[in-house]
Amino acid sequence: MFNIGTVIGFEIKRTLKKKSFWIGALSVPALLIGVVFIIWLSNKSASETSDQFKNERYSLVVLDESERVNPALLSQFGAQTVENKQKGIDQVESGTTDAFFYYPNDVAENPVEAYAKDTGMFENSKYQAVAEMLLEESVAATVNPADREVLRGNVAYETTTYRDGEEYNPLLHMIAPGIFLVLFYFLIAMFGSQMLTSTTEEKENRVIEMLLTTIEAKSLIVGKIIALILLAFIQALVVILPILVLYLLFKDQLNFSLPVELSAIPIDGERMALGALIFIGSYGLFTGLLVAIGAAVPTAKEANGFLGVVFMLLFAPLYAVSLIISSPDSLAVQILSYFPLTAPIPLLLRNAAGTLPLSEGLVAAAILAVCAVIAMWVAIRLFRYGAIEYSNRLSFKTLFK
Amino acid sequence: MTKAQPSPLVEVKDFSMKFGKTTVIDSLNFEIMKGETFGLLGSNGSGKTTTIRALLGIYKPTEGKLYIENKAYTVDSDVTLGYLPEERGLYRNESVLDVMIYFGTLKRMRPNEAKEWSLNYLKRVGLFDKANVKIDKLSGGQQQKVQLGVTIMNHPKLLILDEPTKGFDPVNRRLLMDIIEERQADGATVVLVTHHMEEVEKLCDRLILLKDGSAAAYGTVEQVRAAHNNKSLDDIFVDVYGHHALQGGEQHV
Repeated sequence: MFNIGTVIGFEIKRTLKKKSFWIGALSVPALLIGVVFIIWLSNKSASETSDQFKNERYSLVVLDESERVNPALLSQFGAQTVENKQKGIDQVESGTTDAFFYYPNDVAENPVEAYAKDTGMFENSKYQAVAEMLLEESVAATVNPADREVLRGNVAYETTTYRDGEEYNPLLHMIAPGIFLVLFYFLIAMFGSQMLTSTTEEKENRVIEMLLTTIEAKSLIVGKIIALILLAFIQALVVILPILVLYLLFKDQLNFSLPVELSAIPIDGERMALGALIFIGSYGLFTGLLVAIGAAVPTAKEANGFLGVVFMLLFAPLYAVSLIISSPDSLAVQILSYFPLTAPIPLLLRNAAGTLPLSEGLVAAAILAVCAVIAMWVAIRLFRYGAIEYSNRLSFKTLFK
Repeated sequence: MTKAQPSPLVEVKDFSMKFGKTTVIDSLNFEIMKGETFGLLGSNGSGKTTTIRALLGIYKPTEGKLYIENKAYTVDSDVTLGYLPEERGLYRNESVLDVMIYFGTLKRMRPNEAKEWSLNYLKRVGLFDKANVKIDKLSGGQQQKVQLGVTIMNHPKLLILDEPTKGFDPVNRRLLMDIIEERQADGATVVLVTHHMEEVEKLCDRLILLKDGSAAAYGTVEQVRAAHNNKSLDDIFVDVYGHHALQGGEQHV
């Protein structure tokens, strides 16, 4: 395994020099920051507009059959009352008043109606805002503050559950082992294509023979795989660091706090170890598979054609997430968990959710590990003996000759 | 020209190679002595490249043994090897210097040593100002110079050149000849895989002529010529293969 370090250094250096790497890496935080900024701007604007509309004054007539709207509030707003609904509508139509609100007898059954002068698509919402505010404030004033908060849904609820006599929060317990699922998804999604084409470049550039007389195929492939893993971590840092820096710099202004304290996240040693085993087996299997495909075909273009098929098998279980979590013992979930090409996501998800028994997890991880070794063996053999078939796709039979 | 030494550096014994049902090499035997320049000759499809690939461990022989310094070649072997394959290329999207340093380091040079050697070489071949230029921005001739540099950068004691002048312009052909002569003077063993007889006649001490995977002639240039009524190597080649071989009508193996 001589020279692996040289391969890793070369692969990392050349990838870091590519614009596409930085565009790919920086686009994620840039996109996130952009989305967060737009949401913040939009919320701020909506809130300001709502406050502005609530406080906006315009000529208003009201018919309150519900008798729930406080007359003092109406006079504070400068609203007049009318005797019947049609009269109010007529006043708006004739332009003698800007708006007319009709509160029906039973507001729980019938809608509150607002008739008003058009002021544009967005500004028209000021009528509903004021109609709502008048009714809500009037009713709220009739109950005590605690009841008011209950009715407004401003009550916090806390549930404490127990497992084996100890406090247990399933969601909180998912976080630490769930990291393996996120990591796996991130690595394959970001680097799948690169894994697939990692050996086609040597083939397309005709450097294989010179390489194979200076370095073992195994060392070259392992070096490339390690470089891909390190690059994934570098990319993860590039994604996380700016977000972390921005969070630390602007957390007060953003009024944002993490939903859970990091120190409160429980670490279940058994599930973490099982997650790590499944992750390693899964990553090894898919890396071997993608590198093998790359070594078997003559060009990167042809190799990329296979990527969709591999991704389809791998990510198809995402469509059955609720089934995987709610019915982990069902036949479909068992098949998805034991079939190596679909297994990573169901296994990592079930392990995170705590529905993967240790014995089942170990068997599945062993299957993945065996398949990973086979895939690596195939990849190295294909690269070793197939790489100099420059223009031809390698036949499966060649492997065993 | 360096005289052939008595001890063999390369030994090929009963070497056979089959691809499927096709026998490409059939019980081939020959030796290459230390310090000599050896010609591995034959028309397209005669098994020259297959023999070299098997010698360098790229192909696994169906039968027989191919040894360099008494053992099968692996990348961990002590022998310093320079190999210019018939199929040539470099990492096109990397700079000249990066590629040279990478191969130099793979060939066990220290990165600084590889860098220094590369810059000196680039200066020698007039490409110093292209050191940081991507390979694919170089002309075909300039790429050939870089490829030659990569081949010889570890001062190889065994230099194997497969169809070395294939596609080379006259300037690079001259450079190649200079390099071969330098390596010869340095006591290196040079193997020329070719079907250009003038190169063999000029450079080689001994040769083997392959036909259909077997040796049609083997020995010193003089011995081979003597065995064929002192004809030129060109004429011997035509005698062995017939006129159609000169037109390059056969398939590559």
